[in-house]
Amino acid sequence: MSALATIRRRGAGSIAWHAGALAVLAVVLYPVLWVIGASLKPNDEIVGSLQLFPTDPITDNYRHLAQGIADIPLSTFFGNSLFLAVGSVVGVLASSSLAAYAFTRIGFAGRGVLFTLMIGTLLLPYHVLLIPQYVLFQKLELVNTYTPLLLGKYLATDAFFVFLMVQFMRNLPKELDEAARLDGCGHLRTYWSIVLPLCRPALITSAIFTFINAWNDFMGPLIYLNEPEKYTVSLGLKMFVDQDGVANYGGMIAMSLVALLPVLVFFLAFQRYLIDGMATSGLKG
Amino acid sequence: MTPVQTPTAAALPTGDAAGPGPGRGGAAEERSGPGARRRARRENLAGYLFMSPWIAGFALLTAGPMIASLYFAFTDYNLFDAPRWIGLKNFTDMFADPRWRHSVDVTLWYVVVGTPLKLAAALAVALLLNQKRRGQGFYRAAFYAPSLIGASVSIAVVWRAIFSDDAIVDRAQRSLLGMDVGGWIGDPDWIVYSLIALTMWQFGAPMVIFLAGLKQVPRELYEAAEVDGAGPWRRFWNITLPMISPVLFFNVLLETIHSFQIFGSAYILGGQAGGTCGPADATLVYTCYLYVQGFENSRMGFASAMAWMLLLAVGLVTAVLFWSQKRWVHYEEAAR
Amino acid sequence: MRTNGTGTQGSVDRRGLLKLVGGSTAALGLTAAGCGGGSGSDGGTVTIRYAWWGSDDRAKRINQTIELFEKKHPKIKVKTDFQPYLDFWKKFNTQASGGNPPDVFQNAVGFLRKYDAKNVLLDLGGQVEAGNLRMDGFRAGLDTFGEVDGRLLGVPVGSNSMALVIDEKVFGKAGITPRPGWTWEEFHAALAKIRDTQGRAGDSGMYGVMYLYDLHLRQHGKAFFTPKGLGFTEADLTDWWTKALQGVRAGTYSDPKKVSQVKPKAALSAGLSACEFTWDNFTIRYTSEGKSEYGLAPVPTTDGKRTGQYLGSLMLSASKRTKHPEEVARFIDFMVHDPEVATIMGYDRGVPATTAQYEAFKPTDPVNKKIAAYEQQLVDSGVLEQITPHPAGADIAEAAFLRIAEEMALGKSSVAEAVRQFFSESKTALGS
Repeated sequence: MSALATIRRRGAGSIAWHAGALAVLAVVLYPVLWVIGASLKPNDEIVGSLQLFPTDPITDNYRHLAQGIADIPLSTFFGNSLFLAVGSVVGVLASSSLAAYAFTRIGFAGRGVLFTLMIGTLLLPYHVLLIPQYVLFQKLELVNTYTPLLLGKYLATDAFFVFLMVQFMRNLPKELDEAARLDGCGHLRTYWSIVLPLCRPALITSAIFTFINAWNDFMGPLIYLNEPEKYTVSLGLKMFVDQDGVANYGGMIAMSLVALLPVLVFFLAFQRYLIDGMATSGLKG
Repeated sequence: MTPVQTPTAAALPTGDAAGPGPGRGGAAEERSGPGARRRARRENLAGYLFMSPWIAGFALLTAGPMIASLYFAFTDYNLFDAPRWIGLKNFTDMFADPRWRHSVDVTLWYVVVGTPLKLAAALAVALLLNQKRRGQGFYRAAFYAPSLIGASVSIAVVWRAIFSDDAIVDRAQRSLLGMDVGGWIGDPDWIVYSLIALTMWQFGAPMVIFLAGLKQVPRELYEAAEVDGAGPWRRFWNITLPMISPVLFFNVLLETIHSFQIFGSAYILGGQAGGTCGPADATLVYTCYLYVQGFENSRMGFASAMAWMLLLAVGLVTAVLFWSQKRWVHYEEAAR
Repeated sequence: MRTNGTGTQGSVDRRGLLKLVGGSTAALGLTAAGCGGGSGSDGGTVTIRYAWWGSDDRAKRINQTIELFEKKHPKIKVKTDFQPYLDFWKKFNTQASGGNPPDVFQNAVGFLRKYDAKNVLLDLGGQVEAGNLRMDGFRAGLDTFGEVDGRLLGVPVGSNSMALVIDEKVFGKAGITPRPGWTWEEFHAALAKIRDTQGRAGDSGMYGVMYLYDLHLRQHGKAFFTPKGLGFTEADLTDWWTKALQGVRAGTYSDPKKVSQVKPKAALSAGLSACEFTWDNFTIRYTSEGKSEYGLAPVPTTDGKRTGQYLGSLMLSASKRTKHPEEVARFIDFMVHDPEVATIMGYDRGVPATTAQYEAFKPTDPVNKKIAAYEQQLVDSGVLEQITPHPAGADIAEAAFLRIAEEMALGKSSVAEAVRQFFSESKTALGS
């Protein structure tokens, strides 16, 4: 086989490969492109038209958003979501890394049992806890506050993140903390000055996922929040769907896109961390 | 965890969920001498202090509620009056309730059809991407993105539009297949497939895991097979599939468990209104019905009983999968 | 030396940890404090919580009326909170069960007995005696609308009535003019004519509207609800739904798939039908949603006279747990009597219940004029009947009625199955 033929064959393979990948890409991107295009169309052209982007784009839908929903500016919903998302990130990072440190670096009695319990909660359907947790927070008069949505994050109930960090810390060389111990470092110092900085990749991955989870969360806010002023972006959008989705369909579509933006931005900024972090930690058994 | 579909849960370890790592020797090996004993005590103290948030969370938000939920399941509880013990009545009512059976049917159909399709799509695209070509990283990232936004209210709103009458899917179906169902969203027989399509669209999370698994299959195996004259299909069947079976197992396990818990997408896509989900309850998945009974009809006892049935079902599926693992999952020492 | 060193280290350990735990607890505490709702008084100023259901538009109007109220009662602050109808009752239920219901809230006839039985509603009679709430000047006997067993549990804010909202253009083209007292036969003939001449279904599908079936039953001397349970038999409903299914098949009712798909838009405004039964004050909604012109037509009758109609009303109720019954009573009084409130609210919650407010707002737009004329005609023609508050659980039965009727229309269950299902679910909901 001549070199030229090989190159030609490779070229053909490459074209086929890219064609396949582009076909998948089209399916994946269509809804996102659709929502961008639709948000620039007038109300009655949104559903029926096959044209992805309007020839005559309008910005009315976005200008409508500036009025907010029912006297509540959109910035309120974004502020609330941001508060919850950032609050969740802080809680998850602090509580999960403490637990993971204990699991990997401290030889305390009962460690195995607790670890098994923690793994058990990983597979537990959330819905079993939904009603009793609600009853608990209702009795404590904490419904319609952010506490029910945040408390679990500060108490490391997202077992997945504990597990992720355990996986990571387990692979840090043992010699490091032995050296630290010889230098007279206690556990807190070792945790704070040695282990945590080395765990940066795991911490970043956890932070991003926690943020996105909290941002997208729908059921928690739906159940616990009562006052529209405390609503998150998800609930604000749902309110839009219920209230104005008919008369102002375009506004609803524009709001859908705006609600997605933070997640998309996060994704574009951190996609390396997300994908590599998940893929590699997923394979270290 | 919230029922939000994220890829996070998909990143479990392949192989055995090993116990905690080597740590610092452990208390056991230094059990002699008073200094060692003091150190063991200190280790215990430090350990429990570090663990205290988790322990509090486990007691307050997991174990306690589970016990309470089990109790509620045998009571009539409307939040106003104290729970009243009614024995097995919630369970007998549940089995006699045609809506409950319907929600089980909807959920099973969604899980049984949706999960394999999603995993097949994920594996197919992973095989496609598992070649050293330019743009691979870009495609991987782009395909993964839907997994992050798929569970959001926004996408459910978009989905409702894309699958309604005269929108792209309806028109394609009419012109390519000559079928006019008038939009999937309004049709009780079709809307569940738009939900399944939404699930499939989020194939990126399991795809990333598959890709990572594929990367670990040693090249030499393929080269040897090629020398033996094995075609691409035989190579896939005899080498790829067995080699990635641990990854496949965990994807199957987690996607299945996840699918049982779908809520938000079904709730918004079905246009939840008046205690219904979709036309003729067509997207009344199990958790939607649990929500309706618990939070709309104030039947907390009934809803708790439903939750325990879900737990049993998920437990059973997990057990069956783990049991079947012996037959088809190959753990290669070299692969780890 | 070394032991000592690590010992110190150990205590740093603990202290640091405590600080950390304390930090997170403090963060949570802050959250809770920042969000703690509820009523309270502060330096002579009283804050009351007011909750209602409704739309964005209603919210804007209500916010204006509250500003007005706060200006006239500087010592009372009002905190508001609203949801769409279904979410409202879900949230209300959980708040009330937690002993923390809003001080004052919008209420409807279907919920009076329910929450009375749960001991949530305040008897406002005492406040009337104390002179904080005036119950005079109400139109058409509405002053007793919110009474249960002689106790005043709700004060009407506006009256409404079931009506047939029609697409006037389509009706005009088909040459149909509904007249008061027209019969069901004439109504169905009109639907068929619209289907045949106008190429669309006549009606959106009335079989699931509980309040309409109620009228039909009243025309036969029955009612949907008795104070204890259901007021009709399985045979009655089988008959009603059998005819409904025939209508769906014959195309006089809209294709239920299409109706379901355009939700939350009404089928009438989406152009899927030419008329639908709903509350008269909802007419405004069709005008903003749809492209045609919409008007009100009389409810068909069985005997040429009796429509079974009554004036319904949204109410304001107070919670028994409120710490400020007097302020709440003054608030309700203001909302139902102040003329300026009427000019702000318009007919959003129905035609104002008191004469003072009714006189204060004279609609200028065609739709509101039609609503006013419609209700005036009802009052004048003397067809109005009395209604007794629904039994507890009526809301759940109503939702089941709508849902099961839709399932049947979509062909997902037979009439017999649907009827059986409805009676079984109502039995659970009404506890009878």
